[in-house]
Amino acid sequence: MTRPFSGRKDGLSLSEALPDRSLFMLVAMMGFLAALALAGASGARALSARWSGGAAQLLTIQVPEADTPLPTPNDTSTTRVQAVLADLASLPDGAQVHRLTPPELARLLEPWLGETDNTALPLPAIIRVRLPPDTSVPDTLEQALNAHVPGTIVEHNARWGERLRALANSLLACAGLALLSVGGIATMITGLATRTGLATRKDIIKTLHGLGASDSYIAGRFAWRTATLGFGGGLSGTLAACLPLLLLLQMAAPFASTPLATTERLLPVDWQALANTIPSDMALALALLPFVAAFICWFTTQVMVRLWLLRLP
Amino acid sequence: MIHLDNVSWRRGKKDSAPVLAHLSFMVPQGGFRWLLGPSGAGKSSLLSLLHLENLPTDGQMTILGKTVTQEEKRAALVRLRQRIGMVHQDYQLMPDLSVADNVALPLRLQNRPEDEIQDEVHAILKWVGLGSRTDVPANRLSGGEQQRTAIARAIIHRPGLILADEPTNALEESQSCRLLDMFAELSAMGTTVVVATHNESLVRRLERPFLFLEHGRLVDDGGEQP
Repeated sequence: MTRPFSGRKDGLSLSEALPDRSLFMLVAMMGFLAALALAGASGARALSARWSGGAAQLLTIQVPEADTPLPTPNDTSTTRVQAVLADLASLPDGAQVHRLTPPELARLLEPWLGETDNTALPLPAIIRVRLPPDTSVPDTLEQALNAHVPGTIVEHNARWGERLRALANSLLACAGLALLSVGGIATMITGLATRTGLATRKDIIKTLHGLGASDSYIAGRFAWRTATLGFGGGLSGTLAACLPLLLLLQMAAPFASTPLATTERLLPVDWQALANTIPSDMALALALLPFVAAFICWFTTQVMVRLWLLRLP
Repeated sequence: MIHLDNVSWRRGKKDSAPVLAHLSFMVPQGGFRWLLGPSGAGKSSLLSLLHLENLPTDGQMTILGKTVTQEEKRAALVRLRQRIGMVHQDYQLMPDLSVADNVALPLRLQNRPEDEIQDEVHAILKWVGLGSRTDVPANRLSGGEQQRTAIARAIIHRPGLILADEPTNALEESQSCRLLDMFAELSAMGTTVVVATHNESLVRRLERPFLFLEHGRLVDDGGEQP
């Protein structure tokens, strides 16, 4: 026995008519892929911005045997690195010259050498030069430094920055294409689920139509159901993607512009550190993902049902 | 009221033979018409046309003061359909819904307040003799009970036009008589009623004008010319 007036108002019973579990699971998978693609796009965009911006103005100079005195006829107390630093004083006004300190050098090498004591290694001195915007390094700098301090290596970021930027842009395009594909597949899945629901409830829809149900009412009932499933699937997929994204962030932490102090800080999760690491645009995109999934499902179902209803007068 | 002027309806292609051909008749507001004719004469097709499940392919049809054409906007058809009550031969109930929920459907589709809906539904179910069966799912009802539920659903929203396709074929005679009295009462209150039937004793019991169809053509319009 049922109650005289149950919650099932119109007999469509969409929870039974639509392939709920399949739609939920497939949208969740699409949400998972979309979250990864979004993270990739965000990373590629940050890289591209970085290489087209500040990184192009960076110059890295390596001075081997840095503390060896430079053999000069007048003054033997000047080391090779001091000589290079003195030469760099001639750079354009506003140029920032900084020799990396031993802790900074250790942190730079940490991904490769770990946290071992590397004082015994014959490491070169690293000098980081940041040029003011719209200035460039004199072409003769490397030549001049080498003439004065033989073996000095000058790395112009700008030389290979263009290539990296192109690579980052192509990665961004790939991520965009992946997102489009995921959206397209989600649309197709929703369309198929809606078609199944329409086929299952064909007679009931015809009866409702005969009783005066408008297209908006019938399409709205179907669309609300698929949108709910889409939201749930999108949310689940996004949450499921958080774990691999967390691991990726952990792996990328040493290369990030605002690096985490140590890898241990992420496990157990240091939320504050993590929040600082996640780009705000990526966090926003991930938060919006379930809503976008719900909208795709809602819109696709609205179109499908309304087109189907055109068969009826 | 209903007014058909040289109306034809074809199923499918335009060059196919018309199922209904050159129908012209008028039923005034509050009028009652029997729709008679042998099986396959087109009675159900005419009722479907009047219920706007199909639209005329030729001619002009006016239902409840609204002229309906092939180009009619869907929203306008929906609004008009909400003013028509239809009792189908196969009842077309929602099998999983209770009797009460089935009968409440037309009111719910019009967004009427729920307390008002419940009062109306209980009253009409009591009237058709289903007051004690309100909570039974439609798929557990007998044929007669299903028919009465379909009738209750067709009239609960007080439509301006009631169409019934063999509404008494699963009813006992006493119930059929009660139903006829109800249709006559509704007609007297201003509702236009068209009832298709094979039941001659019923027609004799309630003497009203009739429309007689044969091979999709009207061979007798009951004497009232459009």
